[in-house]
Amino acid sequence: MMRASGGRRVVISGMGAVSAAGLGAEPLWQAARDGKSQVRELKLKRAYDGRIKIAAQVQDFDPAEHIEASLLPFCEPFSEFSVVAADEAVAQAGLGDKGLAGPRTAVIVGTGIGGMTTIDNGLYGYYREATRFDPLTVPRLIPSAAPTTLGMRYSCLGPTFAVSSACSSATQSIGIGLQMLRFGLADRAIVGGAEACVINGTIRAWESLRVLTPELCRPFSKGRNGMTLGEGAAIFILETLDSALTRGHRPLCELVGYGTTSDAKDPVRPDLHGVKTSIALALEDAGMTPADIDYINAHGTATHANDITESEAILAVFGDELGRKVPVSSTKPVHGHALGASGGLELAIAIRAIQEQIVPPTINFREADPRCPIDAVPNEARQTKVRAAMSNSFAFGGINAVLVVKAFEP
Amino acid sequence: MTEAPQDKAQLVEEIIEVIAAEGMIDRAKVTPDATIESLDLKSVDIVMILTALEEKFNVYIPMDGSLQEAKDVKTLIEALAEHITKEREKS
Repeated sequence: MMRASGGRRVVISGMGAVSAAGLGAEPLWQAARDGKSQVRELKLKRAYDGRIKIAAQVQDFDPAEHIEASLLPFCEPFSEFSVVAADEAVAQAGLGDKGLAGPRTAVIVGTGIGGMTTIDNGLYGYYREATRFDPLTVPRLIPSAAPTTLGMRYSCLGPTFAVSSACSSATQSIGIGLQMLRFGLADRAIVGGAEACVINGTIRAWESLRVLTPELCRPFSKGRNGMTLGEGAAIFILETLDSALTRGHRPLCELVGYGTTSDAKDPVRPDLHGVKTSIALALEDAGMTPADIDYINAHGTATHANDITESEAILAVFGDELGRKVPVSSTKPVHGHALGASGGLELAIAIRAIQEQIVPPTINFREADPRCPIDAVPNEARQTKVRAAMSNSFAFGGINAVLVVKAFEP
Repeated sequence: MTEAPQDKAQLVEEIIEVIAAEGMIDRAKVTPDATIESLDLKSVDIVMILTALEEKFNVYIPMDGSLQEAKDVKTLIEALAEHITKEREKS
């Protein structure tokens, strides 16, 4: 694991999001802060016989309102979400249409699956209705469709690829962007994650794994019995501090730490060693101690195993006292588990928590589970000092990824 | 629970059958006192068991919640039987 020492400082200059809360990072933050769940009855185009009837779905999204007709045929929902989130991020970064153009900008976007809607539509037509595939099926469904579409939009010629590590995809893509900028492989990067998986086939597949709750998602709480699917995108503009200072742009925050490990153990069950090591590495990378972290946006899926392992890992790294004291909330009951986009949505919330000095709550919380002995910020947001925040993602397959951001000080 | 004792006994038998078949365990090892650990049931095995129970009894049982509390076969079966019985009472 490489350390920060010697590398260039990296800031986040802009961010954008699409989520069940609507278009923009602001509605996402407000929903998280106010504990307003965006989980609703599913709206699906095709007949659906699943037992799980809820998700934090991006509803009533009309891509034609946001994306020009010439680009639209190449996009499917996960790319569309990426474009809308990226436009917001680029505007906030003050970079204009061509500010990111050239070979020194990397584009790295994570996705768990990629073009699931395109896959679902194509196979439904082929097997069920004997129709031909849409000729643009392949370019739309490839996981790299999101980063390449963004690259074309902003004329970025640097390293461009998709990161696919299930629920750690967005977090890893942001972390890799950080490393590339630190060590001079690029000066700016468009990073984040996108997922559009709230569709018949995917929900049924998730349902069969039995990790979805038929009721309410209650992370860290007694009585929790699983997660709720979400979808969307979160895109960030990273640049070196020098690059931001030179053009006189005030960043949202500094991106200071990234830790990642693999459990190499079980396809679906998290492992304490891998999880706690990723947290410790992120802190080490940031050159911080646990006392520097004022808020943790947890992976907090509300599955039995994740929440216990994550709590144990936090206590193991932060120590028994700080580990029980640091506010740890899961905002997944609000925006759902957006899989490859989740780490991005959650980092956006962590950044707003620093800016507003407010820690968002873990909603649907009933009663503390003694096996999750953390402060889960139950049900109500908290005004408190937040200088630095951590965002955790732990994926199926055992890939763990953790980011640390802190308030910007030149 | 309004079920007659013989119904419950039969249900328990059926659940044991499924655990043995889907967990790929010798039927004789699935005794009430056996620990889940001794049967070497992994999370994926539990998913397979729950899927088979869904097909058999038309009931959706999440991985989490009461099943996670089970340390031995007896409590696991109790938890599963409770889910199934509840679902039957609903319909």
